[in-house]
Amino acid sequence: MGLRQDPIAAGLWRAAPWRAALCLTFLWVSLASCQGAPRRGTPTAAEETAETLSPVHILQADAVPGFEQATTPRRFDFPADHGPHPTFRTEWWYFVGNLESDGGRAFGFQLTFFRQSARPDAVPRGSDWASQDLYFAHFAVSDVAEQRFAAFERFSRGALDLAGAQGDPFHLWIEDWSVEKQAPPTSARAGPSDGLGLWPATLQAADGDIELRLELLSSKPPVAIGDRGLSVKSELTGAASHYYSLTRIASRGSLRIGDRVFAVRGNAWLDREWSTSTLSPEQTGWDWFSLQLDDGRDLMFYVIRRQDGTVEPASHGVLVETDGGARHLSLDDVELQVVADWQSPGGVTYPAAWRLAIPDLDLHLNIEPRLADQELRLSVAYWEGTVRVEGRQGDRPVNGLGYVELVGYGF
Amino acid sequence: MSLLLRSSWRWLRHHPWQSASTLLGIALAVAVVTGVDLANESARRAFSASIDGVAGKATHEIVGGPQGVDETLYRDLRRQGFRASAPVVEGWVQAKDRPLLLIGIDPLAEGELRSFSASWRQEGSDIQSTGVPFGDFMYQPGAVVMGAELAAELGLEVGQTMAVEVAGKSHSLTLLALLRASQDLDRQSAKDLLLCDISTAQEVLDQRGWLSRIDLRLDADSHLGEAAWRQALPAGVVLQSKSSRRGVLDQMTSAFRLNLQALSLLALLVGMFLIYNTMTFAVVERRPLLGNLRLLGVTRRQIFWLILGEALTLGLLASGLGLALGYVIAQGLLTLVTQTINDLYFVLSVGQVQLLPTALLKGLLLGSLGSVVASLVPASEAMATPPGQVMQRSSLERSVQTTLPRRALLGLVGLLGCTLLLQIPSTSLALGFGILLLFVLSCAVLVPPSMWWVMNLLQRLGGGLGLLARLAIRGVNASLSRTGVATAALVVAVAMTLGVALMVGSFRSTLEIWLETTLEADVYVAPVDFASRGGRQDLDAALVDRLLQTPGVAAVTTTRRVEVVSRQGPLQLMALGMERPAFDRFTFVDGTAAKIWPAFVDGGALISEPLAHHRQLAVGDRLELLGADGWRPLTVAGIYYDYGSDRGVVSLYRDTYDRWWRDPGIHTLAFYAQQTVDSRTLIDALRQRAEGEPLLITANGDLRRYSLDVFDRTFAITQVLRLLAMGVAFLGILSALMALQLERRRELAVLRALGLTPRQLAWQVVTQTSLMGAVAGLLSIPLGIALSVLLIEVINRRAFGWSLDLELAPSAMLASFVLALVAALLAGLYPAWRLGRSTTANALREE
Repeated sequence: MGLRQDPIAAGLWRAAPWRAALCLTFLWVSLASCQGAPRRGTPTAAEETAETLSPVHILQADAVPGFEQATTPRRFDFPADHGPHPTFRTEWWYFVGNLESDGGRAFGFQLTFFRQSARPDAVPRGSDWASQDLYFAHFAVSDVAEQRFAAFERFSRGALDLAGAQGDPFHLWIEDWSVEKQAPPTSARAGPSDGLGLWPATLQAADGDIELRLELLSSKPPVAIGDRGLSVKSELTGAASHYYSLTRIASRGSLRIGDRVFAVRGNAWLDREWSTSTLSPEQTGWDWFSLQLDDGRDLMFYVIRRQDGTVEPASHGVLVETDGGARHLSLDDVELQVVADWQSPGGVTYPAAWRLAIPDLDLHLNIEPRLADQELRLSVAYWEGTVRVEGRQGDRPVNGLGYVELVGYGF
Repeated sequence: MSLLLRSSWRWLRHHPWQSASTLLGIALAVAVVTGVDLANESARRAFSASIDGVAGKATHEIVGGPQGVDETLYRDLRRQGFRASAPVVEGWVQAKDRPLLLIGIDPLAEGELRSFSASWRQEGSDIQSTGVPFGDFMYQPGAVVMGAELAAELGLEVGQTMAVEVAGKSHSLTLLALLRASQDLDRQSAKDLLLCDISTAQEVLDQRGWLSRIDLRLDADSHLGEAAWRQALPAGVVLQSKSSRRGVLDQMTSAFRLNLQALSLLALLVGMFLIYNTMTFAVVERRPLLGNLRLLGVTRRQIFWLILGEALTLGLLASGLGLALGYVIAQGLLTLVTQTINDLYFVLSVGQVQLLPTALLKGLLLGSLGSVVASLVPASEAMATPPGQVMQRSSLERSVQTTLPRRALLGLVGLLGCTLLLQIPSTSLALGFGILLLFVLSCAVLVPPSMWWVMNLLQRLGGGLGLLARLAIRGVNASLSRTGVATAALVVAVAMTLGVALMVGSFRSTLEIWLETTLEADVYVAPVDFASRGGRQDLDAALVDRLLQTPGVAAVTTTRRVEVVSRQGPLQLMALGMERPAFDRFTFVDGTAAKIWPAFVDGGALISEPLAHHRQLAVGDRLELLGADGWRPLTVAGIYYDYGSDRGVVSLYRDTYDRWWRDPGIHTLAFYAQQTVDSRTLIDALRQRAEGEPLLITANGDLRRYSLDVFDRTFAITQVLRLLAMGVAFLGILSALMALQLERRRELAVLRALGLTPRQLAWQVVTQTSLMGAVAGLLSIPLGIALSVLLIEVINRRAFGWSLDLELAPSAMLASFVLALVAALLAGLYPAWRLGRSTTANALREE
């Protein structure tokens, strides 16, 4: 495999969009073991633990058995698959993107929705608040010019229409944050012409002094990740997800920061993934790269990091051509090297620059955050932010923008 | 100075009985004041904790109509971006025999408002496979968390289930984890709190679709300020600050608490009389000694401070004892206070008496400073003692007698002052108590002149009495400096207890008559939780239909009792579905049922007398209530007598209520039987129709009895305070009269030397004290009646706004007289017994 095994690189190797809920479940467990009394040393003693009741604890609720597992490739069915899959425990809708104002000011944004179920089947209850689903969302905006980053989160139960998701017509929301397919003009024929059933959609989120409102206009066709939509995370049975991506979504809209409103346009990226399994104990986190290159190609690659410093062999990615054609990338296809670190205010060291190469294609890319501090210090802290890509394929320069997610550091 | 202190000490030691009873009297008075204070304040804190305990950082709340706030409003607000809000569903559940407050929250919405901590035992260590038990809080139906104290009390361990009852239905709750007291949840509130997910709360409390309220945190700097929130709210709900809610509820019980406090202060007043009496006596007794001290070069100032110092020491000692005793009393009082608050105002569970430094300090200050103030007069008297030449007792008594007219005048001026103050058109309760105090003091000042006059009269009339009796009578007047004060204390104490007794009796008889006229339907039907705390269960609609079809029914009145929001805070509202004949049960302050009926049917509101009083409303005035579609102005059509609620009630015709509240439930039904049907038969018929549904079906007699029981419970605390004040009075009389007789030892020894037998002397002593007791008892009757009139017409009216008919119960008056007499008699017994045993020579030896 094309990984350099020097200590830093090995330690900094991370992998993949085994994201959010899973990642959170994993992180929370780690967190709890850091904070609590020494647990492992006293296997039989009953311990008194005190915690503050928080959404995080709800997330940690033991899963009731009976959830479906991702074990076989999946033929995606749109628009139904844009909606929730309640028979799976965990699911997310991951919107990230790079925007630019009319005046050339650069921004990055992230709006992510997560669903996590406690039970695979609903129990009849005498209250409309009763819910098996917990939804949460993260919203972050990076202002490259001002070197400013802001992140917010929301938690809600999937009840009473406080939060929820549906495939047709597509609608996804937590309170006042939402992504929703626009109602077709009354004269137009109902039904999506592209078979996707998503566009045009409106994305909106606001908190603090920031308000983002985007129209998502059109995209490349969806790409099934892994083995025809089955993205394997380790050799364990069921340690996999169903995964598809919309790697380039033409977007335009407005971004308000304080009193200033910017008309913005750019490309967004949507990752859709659902599953029931969690990371295995020896998997400690991941790095995920989504890069949109100037030449119209998009590259996704992730690596799952393991405790012993090695990388999960099942880590993989995809290269999407301008026309939507996709090429699967296995770990052996890619060389990834960390070339710089950054320390967060909380003392967590994250990798902060990479060299990524696909030797077969003679593609060499340098990846660098456009803003060092893009750590979301929310209920769980992780780094996710806009990056700049510079490199070459053969002699041809290849540049671009992208988003990187770094999870599992500092625990 | 050590000489002076030693002389003080010796004097006190040689009068152990007097010192002890004074000490005990003051201690009891301080105990009553402190006890009431502690109980009051503990109850207030328990209540405030029940609001604040779970309010966390919430500054405001959104409240709605009788059913609460529609839950979709919360969702709509959140989806419009109005955050920093949290839904709350709360209500009382019955666990075994204690009520617990079940609070349903959304743990996902709480972040900005408050945090709850819980702990749990975790078995084993494999963290990877062990979930967090808190996680099930939201998902597991019936999952609750509670404080460790409560769990221990209920004998519950984490993971075990308990049964609670709501409206006759049983629910099973599982203890998920133990709550910890924290910044947002103090121990006091955690004591009877069950915290659960909002879904569980809605299920258990049967409140699907409704929230009790929405808690908010409004920051001044947020762009979504109060104005934005208000604008976003639909009609039918209001935004109010937490402090205003607390204020309103605090105000609700303030009159009640002030009354208790005033009663306790009366006990202190009696205690002060006691000190005054003791110190006066101590000064009079020691005149020769003080005169000698002056001769030895002790200055007037030193003498003055000596007496004050003695009083202060006594006061401090007694207060210390009183505080301890007060804490004990407070335990009992708190139960009574809580009971009353529960019966009259809102659900409050008995908390623990808290040792509040301020209340303790207050008791200590009142006891010690009261003692000092009460001995200012005797101390200045002592200061006036001329050196060397011992002033004759006779000359002192003469000077007292010459000042009698002046004292009488002072008392009369005081009474005139009361009369003038009563003319002030004020509703101030504090002023009312001020008048009461002035009245009592004036009367106290008038007691010695009155007694002097009575004794003179007795002497003149009693020519035929034996020598001993005349001697006893003359003895009273001869030592008026002491008998006067002792009798005054006795009169005040007895009159006060009589006044309170007459007031309570009048209240009870008024209530009885009112119940008689009000509860004239034959059978009342209510849901089973009607009588329990916080019970607000509706009767099932189908069941109501069935019951209405019962044969033998002539007429039915339906009632829905709810709490609605008015501009001045929450208000009790009764929606009455009734016909014209039933309407006649109302007795109006002015106007007749016949005249008011049309206005009532036409949408007018009837308000109870206390409500008219509190809100200063008259017929024709407007009252604004929050209806389903916003504020509704109502015109007051009539003011009726009502003794059911001291806060007041507004009654609406059912159609009026339905039009504006769209809240169709019925709480109670009152059935009038046909002429030929007796109520037993009707009850049986209704039972049959109920088909086994749990219902309270009550004949009117039982309901009347129940109401009177509640009344008696409510006034239990008043009775207890009255008894305590009587205890103080009793001790006062005992100490004063006993001291008096002991002081007469020499005089009696002379009589003995002249040939009287010990038996005759004892008889003489007992006659004298009984005589004083009898006079005090007699004088206290008019004073007691006057006090009860003041309590009924001034205090009660200002505090609650009720009209009560004065009822002079002979038994109460007789009891007061007997109390005075018995206390005086007992006070004579010990000196008489000692006289019988002492030898003449010993008693005369001092000569």
